[in-house]
Amino acid sequence: MTATPLIQVRDLVKEFDGQRVLAGVNLDLAEGDIKVVMGPSGCGKSTLLRCLNRLVEPTSGTIHFRGQEVTGPGVDVRALRQGIGFVFQQFALYRHLTVLGNVTLGLRKLRGLRRAEAEQKALHELDRLGMAEHRDKYPGQISGGQKQRVALARALAMDPAVVVLDEPTSALDPVLSREVAQLIRRLHDEKVTLMCVTHDLQLARSIADQVVFLDRGVVRAEDSVARLSADHPDPQVRAFFGRETGT
Amino acid sequence: MNGWPSFWRDLLEQMPLILAGLGQTLQLTVLVSMTGLLGGVGVFYLTLSRQRLVRRCTQGYISFFIGMPLIVLLFLMYYGLPQWGLRVSPFWVAVLGFTLNVAAYNAAYLTSAYNGLDQAELEAARSQGFSHRQVFGLVTLPQVLRLSVPALTNQAILNLKDSTVAFLIQYTEFFARMQELAATNFQFFKAYLLAAMVYLALVSVIVLAARAVEKRVAIPGVHR
Repeated sequence: MTATPLIQVRDLVKEFDGQRVLAGVNLDLAEGDIKVVMGPSGCGKSTLLRCLNRLVEPTSGTIHFRGQEVTGPGVDVRALRQGIGFVFQQFALYRHLTVLGNVTLGLRKLRGLRRAEAEQKALHELDRLGMAEHRDKYPGQISGGQKQRVALARALAMDPAVVVLDEPTSALDPVLSREVAQLIRRLHDEKVTLMCVTHDLQLARSIADQVVFLDRGVVRAEDSVARLSADHPDPQVRAFFGRETGT
Repeated sequence: MNGWPSFWRDLLEQMPLILAGLGQTLQLTVLVSMTGLLGGVGVFYLTLSRQRLVRRCTQGYISFFIGMPLIVLLFLMYYGLPQWGLRVSPFWVAVLGFTLNVAAYNAAYLTSAYNGLDQAELEAARSQGFSHRQVFGLVTLPQVLRLSVPALTNQAILNLKDSTVAFLIQYTEFFARMQELAATNFQFFKAYLLAAMVYLALVSVIVLAARAVEKRVAIPGVHR
């Protein structure tokens, strides 16, 4: 493993109107690794992800991305964002564009690829995720699971250093959730660096050996799901994982 | 009802002037519908500015021109500006006055369509690395324009109907010519009925065209 992680978060604080949503988060993500962040609603999971690509500006703390501090002024935020592929909870596909249009837009307008080149690359990604045959459909014409794949293809097409998934299964039924887990595992096998925040314990268990437990804005534990649910000394941690496994 | 023969005779006699007036009406309507749309898109873009002062000023612009009766604006420019040494032709007063007014209305329609957009899509575009302007041009505007077709059509219809007030600043459009026709033979009912039918026919053309556009730009799978 290399000495510097791909993403290194230190003492990250984010306050909204005086309320601390992140209260000093520390986190490392190594290249080719997968990091699962879990925690109750409102624990700051989504805010943490949005701080990584500065959709949300942190109040204090540091984030190093590929060894470079990215929270300060003078950082090329748009370049940073292009290096982080973001897959949103509700997929957030551009509804006025076809599946192919969704994937090619960034390639054409941000990478400057010609239409034919962009389509070739987009089709490669769509094919990899089994969505090439739906290339001409619009987001309103495909299912939730298919949207998820297109959102993933859109992120992967830009060759990001890391793919970030925000609650990837929250809008999907259990069967589709299992498919997403398989997909994430496959990407991990293909050495794609991934970070995933989720409520879904099944998903967490099936894609990562260890999970990070975020609660009230701090990382309270990082361990295997089995240990967190059984014999962790922190009752909050046991309560969360116990409750989740009970349902 | 009598007087038809003399009415037709006068109508035919004045037909070149009436057609010229109709041409003036169409010219003004088409032009201000286009400049008003472009202006509306520009004003709408400024309402999304990241600078609070720009947003405030833009809101002020929209409120001012929506609150100001068009006729007052036209009179202010046509009769008021010469007192400051600035004389503008009726046509350009009409174009400028209508554009300022219509741009404010169109910006308001586009803003309400924008409020109905899925903000996650805009966040997704930002997170892909698109600039503020790219998000506007590639994601916001294409969707907002599609959603606003009915409202923008209504505005085009209003532009046609409101073009009748331009004759009050000496712009001899269709309605002014029909008034002249009515004054020639005192057949007011016939002249204004004919004017009403012409306006209805023109409005029908706009409505049919708008329906075709709406069908063409509808996003498949999106039901409203």
